[in-house]
Amino acid sequence: METLKSLLHSLKRVLIIIAVIALLVLSIRVTKPDLVKLVSSFPKAKSIMGQLLRPEILGRESEKITVAQLVPVPCGSVANPEVPASGPRITVDPPCGNPKDKVQVRGYELPKNAELSIRWILPDGGLLSIKNAVTNANGELTETMELRPITAAVDGKPAQLAFEITLPEGKVVASQTLKDVLDAMFVTIFMALIATTIGTIFAVPLSFLAASNITRKGWLGSAVYYIVRAFLNIIRSYEPLVLATIFAMIVGFGSPFAGVIALSITTAASLGKMFSESVEGIDSGPIEAVTATGANKLQVVVYAVVPQIIPDFLSFTIYHWDINVRISTIIGFVGGGGIGYFLSQRINTLQYSQSGTALLAIILVVWALDFLSSEIRKQLV
Amino acid sequence: MLKVEHLTKVYPNGTVALKDLSFEVPDGEFLVIIGLSGSGKSTLLRCINRLIDPTEGKITMDGIDITAAKGAELRHIRRQIGMIFQHFNLVKRSSVMTNVLSGRLGYLNSWSSTLGYFPHEEKERALAAMTRVGIADKVHSRADALSGGQQQRVGIARTLMQEPKLILADEPVASLDPVLAHSIMQYIEKLNEEDNVSVICSLHYLDLIQRYAERVIGLKDGVKVFEGLPSEINRAKFKEIYGEEAQDMRATALV
Repeated sequence: METLKSLLHSLKRVLIIIAVIALLVLSIRVTKPDLVKLVSSFPKAKSIMGQLLRPEILGRESEKITVAQLVPVPCGSVANPEVPASGPRITVDPPCGNPKDKVQVRGYELPKNAELSIRWILPDGGLLSIKNAVTNANGELTETMELRPITAAVDGKPAQLAFEITLPEGKVVASQTLKDVLDAMFVTIFMALIATTIGTIFAVPLSFLAASNITRKGWLGSAVYYIVRAFLNIIRSYEPLVLATIFAMIVGFGSPFAGVIALSITTAASLGKMFSESVEGIDSGPIEAVTATGANKLQVVVYAVVPQIIPDFLSFTIYHWDINVRISTIIGFVGGGGIGYFLSQRINTLQYSQSGTALLAIILVVWALDFLSSEIRKQLV
Repeated sequence: MLKVEHLTKVYPNGTVALKDLSFEVPDGEFLVIIGLSGSGKSTLLRCINRLIDPTEGKITMDGIDITAAKGAELRHIRRQIGMIFQHFNLVKRSSVMTNVLSGRLGYLNSWSSTLGYFPHEEKERALAAMTRVGIADKVHSRADALSGGQQQRVGIARTLMQEPKLILADEPVASLDPVLAHSIMQYIEKLNEEDNVSVICSLHYLDLIQRYAERVIGLKDGVKVFEGLPSEINRAKFKEIYGEEAQDMRATALV
């Protein structure tokens, strides 16, 4: 009998081991790990990681100069302009013409190897960009262009042909990407802040309704207690990402508002649950003692209940703000706005070094808030 | 003069905590209630300041019916009745000062006190109360930073703020060691003698009973089984109240 029992026991153990192995094999088959591909894609990974690890933070301030020359169209509408003998200048050959005529445009003594954009400054002040070009090593440029009807002089005022030249070697400044990332990051942090605030405002009353020591009295109280608790549990089971996807469809893709709504709802539910446990954990002794001094209900709440729950409430709220910043960094991927939306756009357009900037910002902000919130919470306990 | 007449308390679950209890407490008396845990001592004390509503019976203080009082009138009665608890019941995270001041809430404007404002003379009063129980140096400490004996003294200072006519003490020394027990009992005794405050105190230790009580009431299963002088409680009586297994319990053999 004893041997049979121990035999069954070891058989059970073997069966459990077999079942676990079968589950692991199944999960490996389902997830299709492809180690060969991981190795063979190394060059691609190197390129992507290289760009990601070189985030675009600083850029050169682009200083621009403009050189312009009057071009009378048609000839005789204005006197032919003089061309300076030296310095950055443009010559037009012939110096005037009718629409559809071809003219040769030459630039002299311009910055060397500089990018420039050729454009018309129309008589009414409007700009008409023609093309981008680069000067040669001598700082010269030759282009053939066609005069257009829109470049005709109006009331004796001719159009001008202009080169807008971007000088290399400008001052080192924060790149546009960094500015965009910071903007998006502010949106994210404030999105989390406002969502945490709204969530907390709803969570406080809900938590008292979901606290058994406050609400669960009589059949009505019990009903409210169970309904609120069930409501909180149901809402809590929705991922903020799923909710954000739904609200992004309603209020517009990429709108921070979608993220705010989604985060507010999940924050209210999750903090409501956490607060209610804190309220359930309060010591009834002080309530009894303050009531016994002849204090009214409001005074009892202020002097016996609030001091007991305030540190927990503040601590949970700050903790949740921290969580909400984390979630809102990725909520943009599903259309919630902020840094996640910026990042998803850059990844989709293969701008990896700009994605790197966004990733770096996310890491820094999450780290800083994590540190800050734990420091503040330490002070509260 | 406190008068308890035919007091009965039945809890919703059917437990009869007090059964047809009647007694009187003349002004300035030190009355001790004894009995096993669950014999109804705490229920009795809480019925007197209406933290618990009695099922039947009547309690009057100086002719005013406590059992019928409601709202503002009830709060007015409560502020004349101080209460000291076994577990001190301080707000642990608040300062000693705030805990002591909270004893004055029944006298203060509801709105300004809710915002945390206390007039200067109330703070003076609180300091005087703390000085009287020897904790004036702990004004700004958090309540939970204090030892048990100090916390109970904060509890007494809080009660002093009420300028009570009657103090209910619910096993005030049960959480303290024997030496502290005597120290706390002496503060209560001093209030009783110097301020002529009546005291109703529940106690377990025979030596404390004989040292501090003027009169003793014994409860067993919510029924009064003894009323008399402490000297009348001999070993036999004690066993009658506490049951056959009772040992002669003393807080300390030294005093």
